[in-house]
Amino acid sequence: MLESIVSYGLAVGAIYAMIGITYNVMFTASRAFSFTAGMLGMLGGVLGALFIDRLGLPAIVGLLLVLACGAVMGVITEIVAVRPVLKSIEQHLYVLSTLAFALLIAQFTAIEWGTDAAPFPRLIPIGEGLLDQKFWIPMLACAVTVVGLELLYRKTLIGRAFLAIAEDAYAARALGLPEVRLRLASFALAGMIGSLAGFAGGEMLLAFFGNQSILNFYGFVPVALGGMGNNRGALVAGLLLGLFQQAANFLVGGIFASVAVFVVFIIVLLLRPEGFAGASGARRV
Amino acid sequence: MPISAPDPLLQVRGLSAGYGKIGVLNGIDLTVGAGEIVALLGPNGAGKTTLLKAVSGLLPRAGSVQFAGKDISSAGPRETVDAGLVHVVEGHRVFTQLTVFDNLLLAGYGLKRSVLATQAEEALAFFPEIAAKRADRAGSLSGGQQQMLAVAQGLVRRPRLLMLDEPSAGLSPVLVDRVLAAAAQLRSTGTAVLLVEQLIEKALALADRVYALARGSIVLEARTSEADLPNRLERAYFGSGD
Amino acid sequence: MHLRWLEGRLTFLLLAIAAVGLPLLDDSYAGVIATRACIYWILISGLNLVVGYAGQIAIGWVALLTLGAYTTAVLTAGTVTPEISPYIALVASGAIGVVAGVIVGLPALRLRTFYFAMTTLGFATIVTQIALAWKSVTGGGIGTPGPVFPWPFAPGWGFYYFCLILAALCTWMTANIASSRFGRSLIAIRDAEVAAEASGVAKPALLVTVFVFSGALAGVSGGLFSSLQSYITPDAFTFDLSVLFFIAILIGGRGSILGPLLGTILLTVLPEIAAPLVAWSTFLYAALLLLIVLLIPGGIADMLDYRNRRPLQQHREIVPQPALLPSLLDRPAGGALELSNIALAFGGVRAIDGLSLDFHSGEVHGLIGPNGSGKTTTLNVISGYYHPQTGQARLNGATLPFGAPHRRAGFRIARTFQTPRLIGGASVLENVMIGGTIDGRGTFAESLLTLPRHRRDERMLRERALQALTVVGLETLAGVRADRLQHSELRFMEIARALTLRPAFLMLDEPAAGLSAEEIRRLGALIKAISRAGTGVLLVEHHADLIFDICDRVTVLNLGKILAAGTPAEIRSHREVVSAYLGA
Repeated sequence: MLESIVSYGLAVGAIYAMIGITYNVMFTASRAFSFTAGMLGMLGGVLGALFIDRLGLPAIVGLLLVLACGAVMGVITEIVAVRPVLKSIEQHLYVLSTLAFALLIAQFTAIEWGTDAAPFPRLIPIGEGLLDQKFWIPMLACAVTVVGLELLYRKTLIGRAFLAIAEDAYAARALGLPEVRLRLASFALAGMIGSLAGFAGGEMLLAFFGNQSILNFYGFVPVALGGMGNNRGALVAGLLLGLFQQAANFLVGGIFASVAVFVVFIIVLLLRPEGFAGASGARRV
Repeated sequence: MPISAPDPLLQVRGLSAGYGKIGVLNGIDLTVGAGEIVALLGPNGAGKTTLLKAVSGLLPRAGSVQFAGKDISSAGPRETVDAGLVHVVEGHRVFTQLTVFDNLLLAGYGLKRSVLATQAEEALAFFPEIAAKRADRAGSLSGGQQQMLAVAQGLVRRPRLLMLDEPSAGLSPVLVDRVLAAAAQLRSTGTAVLLVEQLIEKALALADRVYALARGSIVLEARTSEADLPNRLERAYFGSGD
Repeated sequence: MHLRWLEGRLTFLLLAIAAVGLPLLDDSYAGVIATRACIYWILISGLNLVVGYAGQIAIGWVALLTLGAYTTAVLTAGTVTPEISPYIALVASGAIGVVAGVIVGLPALRLRTFYFAMTTLGFATIVTQIALAWKSVTGGGIGTPGPVFPWPFAPGWGFYYFCLILAALCTWMTANIASSRFGRSLIAIRDAEVAAEASGVAKPALLVTVFVFSGALAGVSGGLFSSLQSYITPDAFTFDLSVLFFIAILIGGRGSILGPLLGTILLTVLPEIAAPLVAWSTFLYAALLLLIVLLIPGGIADMLDYRNRRPLQQHREIVPQPALLPSLLDRPAGGALELSNIALAFGGVRAIDGLSLDFHSGEVHGLIGPNGSGKTTTLNVISGYYHPQTGQARLNGATLPFGAPHRRAGFRIARTFQTPRLIGGASVLENVMIGGTIDGRGTFAESLLTLPRHRRDERMLRERALQALTVVGLETLAGVRADRLQHSELRFMEIARALTLRPAFLMLDEPAAGLSAEEIRRLGALIKAISRAGTGVLLVEHHADLIFDICDRVTVLNLGKILAAGTPAEIRSHREVVSAYLGA
């Protein structure tokens, strides 16, 4: 029982953490939350199944194609749903534009791919039982993402440019940093992380268009609890969420597990609206 | 000015700018020659920061801005920086999460790697006080050191004109002198400086020419060698009512 | 606003006639569609107040439809409780809707926009899951039958008229709220929250009221929905419905009743016209939503707003009439407002350090100083936005508590802001009427039903606001959309809004910024007249000439401390002041 909770919990938690990181990367680049994080995860699973199962491509090729599609989706999101509404950010139109865009893609997927959850191909024939690759592939992907981001931010100039824009977009602009190009790159990166999450978690979540709403919500919880833009917070909160959800599943059953997660989420948010490690609000007057 | 003088490095004509509906600048005319230090003085709310932002492209504006023969009237900060005009904004806004040297590298984003490293080192050498702290997080520097870092950032691209917005704000007198001395050093290397300052005496001591801005218009233009400047400035500031 | 109402009335009338006459077509399917439109509108009219007026992005509202539907269905089915009359079940649905509305809505008071949107989504998912799982009550995935209403509201045209009557009632009630101080306060919370607070609008109470009301409507709508469907299952309540409700409001335009009504009709009818598109309907809704957000965020209401496309007179002058002030202000209760020994620090930075200041009725007290000296911060402390670490504020000797900005209006303390806070989409008159909100006596329920006290309130506020506009010289622009005004006019409009409160104390934050020299002169005369009519004025300004012209006393701040205080003549020749401005 315990091992089961740990295996499932950490695997699913890793997926949630990665979606949370996807939200964060888009947020730090634009100061806007985008509803497309769940959509990217969903596409990762669906496209992965499409490329590997239906088209018969090798897993590695499928992965690379999925990442490429994710990057493209991220770029389109920025151009179509985020950039046009950035000037009136106080009106929060980005909530609606990104929601609309995510819905568009999800509905299109539902129509073309079908509304049933299709199985996701087994990626590597290694491991069995609770050590099956379907558990540790998401964890591996999550680790790669976290480490990769650290390296990006510490070792590359573009990564440091991302951090600069996240901290002080005005000063970055004044210095001559190419704001728009860097934002596009951030969204492309977010697209890759999101689709990687869906691909790596394909066997756990199946190739299902409905994953969009599931991942949208459960991927957001780590952001809300860990603090906006805080990737380490998202990682920890995501893993804990996965474990909590699986424990609740085993103890009280599927439906009440969702209710339990939601109730805990609301209570934490009401007590600490900025999450456990978030920043305080800006001056209004 | 001598009859056969070349075109000034920076030529601003009829510049108007504001924030949304609020007009702040009304048709400003201003020039900065190569290798000279020009001080821009004026009371709060006069529009000095707005003027710098309008010149460097951080704000939309109407009017004409010519720099080194190029028309940058509709350019954004990136093109302006590429042309050789760098704006160091007020408030020593450095990237606190990154190291001192990273802050300098970012100031030269887009330059070729070898060139960037060399020029960043040069900029750092300008301020030995922070050269020793190159690997420290910028957030650990004092206010004065951060200001020096901000000015150093402005130097990475070897600009022909450096615009400094209130570099002395919040600094102790010793550090103020240090920063202004750096500006003088720049002049000796051929870089022009447009300096917005609150400290009139120090600005007058350093600059070659001065403009006074009040209520969105230039109310005084003079060489700093002219007589009776402080009184003329006071009268210009408090105004005799339009 | 009255004018807009009239235009809308014609359209409402036409719709009413068409709706009442629908059975003449003898097309029962059309009847079903029309009934569905009415039921949706009952929910959307309530949601409109939440989304279109209060600006809360509540995406998961289908949860309330679900709860209402199942409540009515289960109560009338007699499987869990003894069989209950469908009318009573409907009331029960409304009650459940109220509870759910408050639960879903409460987080809005604490959470950022996106977070709140997410919680409503989560709530909607939970409700659907519970409906699926609670088989003993809801029938789980198999579902449960809906109620049948008895004659005269039996299924078919009878039921249609029942829903039509309720829909018309909802239209009337929400339109009443829209043209009441509650409707204006909601929009103020959405677009100019700080100004709303300064005018005394208590956001939490108002939002909860609105959530209660629209929750009730949504619950009732759910009950009717279960009857229309005659059999409900959890997958009748999809996320798509929530999106539909949302889009109807956005297409219609925020801050309008007629717009979302037309939007609802459009979206209910559309899938029926384009039958092969049914599978793509959600896709098209999403595309429509995206287009609206990007291209016409104002919606149909904006497109139909011909009145506000008529060109305005080009060179307008603002001519205040200060002589009318005494009748507007009606001799406000005098007194003195004082700050003693205020110290306020943000993080490690001391914004204000040991500040003591007072101003009293009948005088103009100027507050000047270099940037960052703490002038606006001082105003914000008096307004109650900040809680200083030490020090007190006193009004006529009695302590003024900090941290409750919306209570300041009750003390007759009014203010303007450094950047004008306005509701762009509302008329100038409506913007100014917000200033007098706290003097309305009617309750939300009375406004809902346009009872006499509500009408009296509206007349009073309208008159007072018009008076205030005449005093500041903007009466000719009363019906114009506020975002069409020039910057200087907006500054005077803010003053009119403050005057509508009949303030004993008025605080002005850089009112002369961006004004021409002539306008500044007129502004000065106006401010002086306001003080002579009995109000105490605290004037924060950069324009030295204005300060020296009209102030009775001047206090100079520098780095959060008082540098000098005295008459304008004393200050003007004070050496330290001059150097502080010119820099030492």
